[in-house]
Amino acid sequence: MANIVTSACCVVLAAVVVVYAQRRSQQGARIQYEKIGSDVTMQCGTLGSEASVTWKVNGTDVENRREDDGPRLALKQVDLSVNGLYSCFQNPTGELKDQIILRVGNPPKEPIVTCRSNTYPKGFYCSWHLPHPTYIPTEFEVSVRHGLQDLQVQKDPIHKNRCHVKLPEIFSNNKYRVNVTATNALGNASGFLAFDEISIVKPDPPEKVVANPIPGNPRKLEVTWNSPSTWPDVETFPLKYFLRYRPLILDTWQHMELSDSTSYTITDAYAGKEYIIQVAAKDTEIGTWSDWSVAIHATPWIEEPKQIIITTTTEADENETTPSQASPSAKPQVGDTLGSSSAALTLSANLFITCIIVLII
Amino acid sequence: MSLCLFLFFSLFILSGHYGPLAVLLATLLHTLRVSAFNVTDASSATAIQRTYELTKYLEHQLSTLTVSYLTYLGPPFNDPDFTPPRPNNSASLPSAATRLDLWKGLDNRLRLSENHRAYSILLGALKGLAAGTLCPSLQRSLQHFCTGLHGLLVSIAGVMTSLGYPPPLPSGEDIPNYFTPKPGSFDFSRKMGGFWVLKELQTWLWRSAKDFNRLKKKLPIPRRRTHMFIACPGIPFHW
Repeated sequence: MANIVTSACCVVLAAVVVVYAQRRSQQGARIQYEKIGSDVTMQCGTLGSEASVTWKVNGTDVENRREDDGPRLALKQVDLSVNGLYSCFQNPTGELKDQIILRVGNPPKEPIVTCRSNTYPKGFYCSWHLPHPTYIPTEFEVSVRHGLQDLQVQKDPIHKNRCHVKLPEIFSNNKYRVNVTATNALGNASGFLAFDEISIVKPDPPEKVVANPIPGNPRKLEVTWNSPSTWPDVETFPLKYFLRYRPLILDTWQHMELSDSTSYTITDAYAGKEYIIQVAAKDTEIGTWSDWSVAIHATPWIEEPKQIIITTTTEADENETTPSQASPSAKPQVGDTLGSSSAALTLSANLFITCIIVLII
Repeated sequence: MSLCLFLFFSLFILSGHYGPLAVLLATLLHTLRVSAFNVTDASSATAIQRTYELTKYLEHQLSTLTVSYLTYLGPPFNDPDFTPPRPNNSASLPSAATRLDLWKGLDNRLRLSENHRAYSILLGALKGLAAGTLCPSLQRSLQHFCTGLHGLLVSIAGVMTSLGYPPPLPSGEDIPNYFTPKPGSFDFSRKMGGFWVLKELQTWLWRSAKDFNRLKKKLPIPRRRTHMFIACPGIPFHW
């Protein structure tokens, strides 16, 4: 038991030492960023121009190096393949003099900014991306201006290229101006977007879209949904909806624009056909339609097929008869109607009175 | 109360076959009694709905009119990305912008009077703009829009009256000088002024749609069936 524990401890210790040594070997290394396609010169520490050094990249010798370069290493028209850890060793001692991590990349180009408000009137968020990759670490700074006021910007905890801003007021015709500056070791670039409050409003799609068949109605489907949960105040800022549906077998959609109710009954479905249904949402006054919701499938109610039992009579069974059980539910229904005629009359009289009352009002 | 008693007694006396008929009679009388109360609520609701629809119509008309007017002003005003600075005396133009909590908390009367005040001032400014427009067809379009805007003012005043609020006072505020017509004068500051009048109008029409939507929701819309059952909650229907 003690032996096993000791062995385990030794293994762990050895691993720690190896990792530490590796880290240490890179700790003295500095990072050098260079532009793709440019000519690069690396200098080995502070050695004089007469010094003779040997260069290694990631532990292997550097190819095609001129001997009279002294403490420098020149690389022409670099591309991404030259990335690596470069070490220089002084000749003839072989002493490690310097370590450089070479990273090639591009300076950033103007970022492309887009903004959207799916939480109107609380706030909006902006996203950006670079049209061309930089291949080296790039940081972004965002500033938002509204008229003469600078607004506070909150970085998104998950997405590196997104930030959130609260709307300071509503019904404003001052533009919002979002400026994004991308910076890396090779340069910087700025992009901006200016917009009016109403032009960026776009809700998230409706949620929990459900379509149910209605028993006894082979051409109807009842569709219900919820307003998007990100929309903060659907009472004060109501949404209107757009429903589209089609049978799976056809390509053309049917559309229905609806006011702020969150349910609709399709009444012209083809009997027995599976339907695909989607819903979108929009603020009743401003902005644009949301994306379509997740598509749901539903089939209208189909009548239960009647049980038909085929009886075959052979010569041996001639004397026996099997009663047919066609439409087992038909006869009892007829019987019920005949038996409750008096109750029906009273009921119809009461309904008639109620109708008159409703009509008067 | 007396009606409830009548209903109760009529049911009690005329029970059995004539029970439903008694209910019918009582309800008829009740309906006649409450019909006067229903009219005021119904007319306010209709007036608000009409005003809401008018703002939507005017908003649509204004977007077409703005395109024509900015083309008439010429560059850089007809550039969709161009926003001129506000003129020095633009503080006299009513701004629709407000904080969310303040807007939500507006009482009905203040909400309506703010709308009325804004459109009164903007109508005056727009009239001055129209008078100073040199293009005849554009001038006619602007004047036609002024008529529509005047209709909106009348509609808002109608809503205020139907809700029992005192009618709005005529606006005594001065219209900024640069809106008064100076034929032939076509300097940049007048153009800037024209741009911002239309911009403020556009914003107000969008805001008004939301204002009237909110009024619609806050006002209890009468439902006739609800009234019938609320009449005498203690008395069950016996057939």
